[in-house]
Amino acid sequence: MLLQFPGPNPNDVDLKTTYDAVVVGSGAAGGMAAYVLTSHGLKVLLLEAGKYQDTGKVLHSMEWPYDHPRRGEMPPDHHALTLNEYTVRQSPYAQNSPYNKVQSYVQGWGGTDYSKTLVVDEKQHPYTGSRYAWVRSRVVGGKTNIWGRLALRLSDFDFKAKDRDGYGENWPISYADIEPYYDKVDLYLGISGHPENLPHLPDSKFQRPVKLTYSELHLRETLKGMGRVLTPYRAGVTTDGLKHNKYRSRCYGRGACDRRVGGCDIHAAFDSPTGLIRPAWDTGNLTMRTNATVYEVTVDKDTGKATGVSFIDSETRQSHQVKAKTVILAASTLESARLLLLSKSSQHPNGIGNSSGHVGHNFCEHVMGPGVSGFMKDLVGKPRTNDDGRPGSFYIPRFRNLEGKRSEFLRGYGFEGGSGTQMMPSSARATPGFGEEYKKHVREYAGATIEMGAFGEVLPRYENFVDLDPAVKDDWGIPVLRFSYEFGENERKMAKDMAAAGREMFEAAKFEVLSGSDEILPEGWSIHELGTARMGSDPKTSVVNQFQQCHDVKNLLVVDGSTHVNASCQNPTWTIMALCWRSCDHLADQLAKGEV
Amino acid sequence: MNFSVDRRDVLKILTGSVLAGPPLLTAAEAGKPLYFSKEEFDLLDRLTEIIIPRDLHSPGAHDAGVAVFIDRRVAEAFLSEEKDAWKNGLAEIERLSMKEAKRPFLKAGKERQIDLLKKLAHGEDNPKSDGEKFFKRLKGATVFAYYSSEIGIHAEMEYKGNVILEQFVGYDAI
Repeated sequence: MLLQFPGPNPNDVDLKTTYDAVVVGSGAAGGMAAYVLTSHGLKVLLLEAGKYQDTGKVLHSMEWPYDHPRRGEMPPDHHALTLNEYTVRQSPYAQNSPYNKVQSYVQGWGGTDYSKTLVVDEKQHPYTGSRYAWVRSRVVGGKTNIWGRLALRLSDFDFKAKDRDGYGENWPISYADIEPYYDKVDLYLGISGHPENLPHLPDSKFQRPVKLTYSELHLRETLKGMGRVLTPYRAGVTTDGLKHNKYRSRCYGRGACDRRVGGCDIHAAFDSPTGLIRPAWDTGNLTMRTNATVYEVTVDKDTGKATGVSFIDSETRQSHQVKAKTVILAASTLESARLLLLSKSSQHPNGIGNSSGHVGHNFCEHVMGPGVSGFMKDLVGKPRTNDDGRPGSFYIPRFRNLEGKRSEFLRGYGFEGGSGTQMMPSSARATPGFGEEYKKHVREYAGATIEMGAFGEVLPRYENFVDLDPAVKDDWGIPVLRFSYEFGENERKMAKDMAAAGREMFEAAKFEVLSGSDEILPEGWSIHELGTARMGSDPKTSVVNQFQQCHDVKNLLVVDGSTHVNASCQNPTWTIMALCWRSCDHLADQLAKGEV
Repeated sequence: MNFSVDRRDVLKILTGSVLAGPPLLTAAEAGKPLYFSKEEFDLLDRLTEIIIPRDLHSPGAHDAGVAVFIDRRVAEAFLSEEKDAWKNGLAEIERLSMKEAKRPFLKAGKERQIDLLKKLAHGEDNPKSDGEKFFKRLKGATVFAYYSSEIGIHAEMEYKGNVILEQFVGYDAI
């Protein structure tokens, strides 16, 4: 018989015990920390600020839109912030909104009714300062419930980027250090892809790849002549199944991923609750408390070491303390930085782990927006095929600044794209006019469309940072983050090149270009925020060491995207999990030797 | 045999007379609209059918219940501005019809109806007048409701997805 998951009444969780580790946050990083540490036999308490939501019960991934009273749209008193609102309004964006619930732009994608309980209410969770589209998910599993599934490795082109172009800092690790952990993550969680043998985008231990449409195959052939690669989407999805995880099914190509803002009710796509937390639970070593909003890391007055955390029950609003030998922050790049800054004490007057003054700084991410859309003439009017029965379409890895050839900007970008028929045809929105001609055009061009958009590395800069707002507090009375962050000249130059390169590739493939844009989406749009507690060897310029332990406080780890030294242009989730696994192995080893 | 004219074009010529448009959904068939008056609803129903009409391939917006869906969504809209935009928009169509065709839209004849919408559709990318703004709203709602309907997904688009696949469909990356 399965143990009850996520456990009995949260109030029954034992707060008198001293746990081996308390993990704050249950997304990709927190789930991984819980899984690795419990597997080592350590007693772990996992604290999640949100509640538990069973995807299997709420997602209804194969429900047809016409069987839903609002065709999948959210209830009328909900509002998703629009692109325009981030631009013309000042944060906090939900201020003075007439709607009952206001959520980030993500809520406005397809499948909104599903994501409404996953994305935070901006009215309860304000933030201030410069423009930023901040997407937060407070629920067991965090943003892994809505993630885009692109699972890429970084390489020494990223870890040792400073050696190549002189900018920023190198990571204190190289690819060889993390490669075995990428392998572990691949094999344990499952990843779909096709090997390409690229030094800057190393191959994973792939399961069955997705197939390409005719236009994608044609573009792949065209790019070979340009020294570029189009590869099937590297999806963090098990396409062949996982014998060691009874909570996850293999992918059955239902193509529901994008219609529901990510999320998979058979858990073929990785999510932290089934991929990591349930296996951790089954060890018998995990305790989990939901609705636990951590607001402080507590410290020993004599040693300055972490002793545990204080949290507020999100519902009863009562404050609690819990003790642990080690504290592991995995609350997300921005929330973990907030927590470090909130934890002020006489030993740590600028916030715990912040003697360098770098917490909240070197904040970076991916810039997106520029892209191209068009169609392949040969496919116009052809019979329908099933083009979206797959967890992703294609990826074009970085090709800029790899071999000494220098662009107007540093670093690079990759393209994510898709093509062919979708349930809601993209040609319906793109076709002007109305009437019989319009209808015929939509029908005939739906399968011929192809589009792609770029994700580029935003350079980490000390002057891009978050700190605590001196006045504004959230619904629980906790000071909120204030953003001082904006894209710079390198990002703007890169964006121009993204648009030009996208068009160049489509024209080379003889696609008809319908539209192209070099317009940058607001800061935050990629949901890839990184770098606010970067790792390094020098305690003066970095927050954590290569094992993600705070230089100042060895029993305090930060294991989420905060510790990225640069953003790479490759999506971060797989790297976050590989680094976390490595750090937790190291921590378990140190605990066994009594060295922490 | 080699036809110089597409088979479907031939059919279209032969059966042109049946394409005059379906009858309006009567109040009895539709039930009482939730938000719009009967007159407004009939106007909305005709407008959506002009935007996505029945053709030889599949039924149009009328049969797909587009106006019924829009009525339901506007009825539950949270902001009164949203509701007003629809009422005022339909009134604007009537005003323009009286001005240009000297009769209500539903009595203006198909040609004049299409002409009027064509003028409004010109500003689709950057609508300026009230009429152009309403056309954009109307078309957006019609497109969403039609292509998410049973008729739109299955009859019109012959959508093949949302099924369980043993193998992915498509080509191997070679």
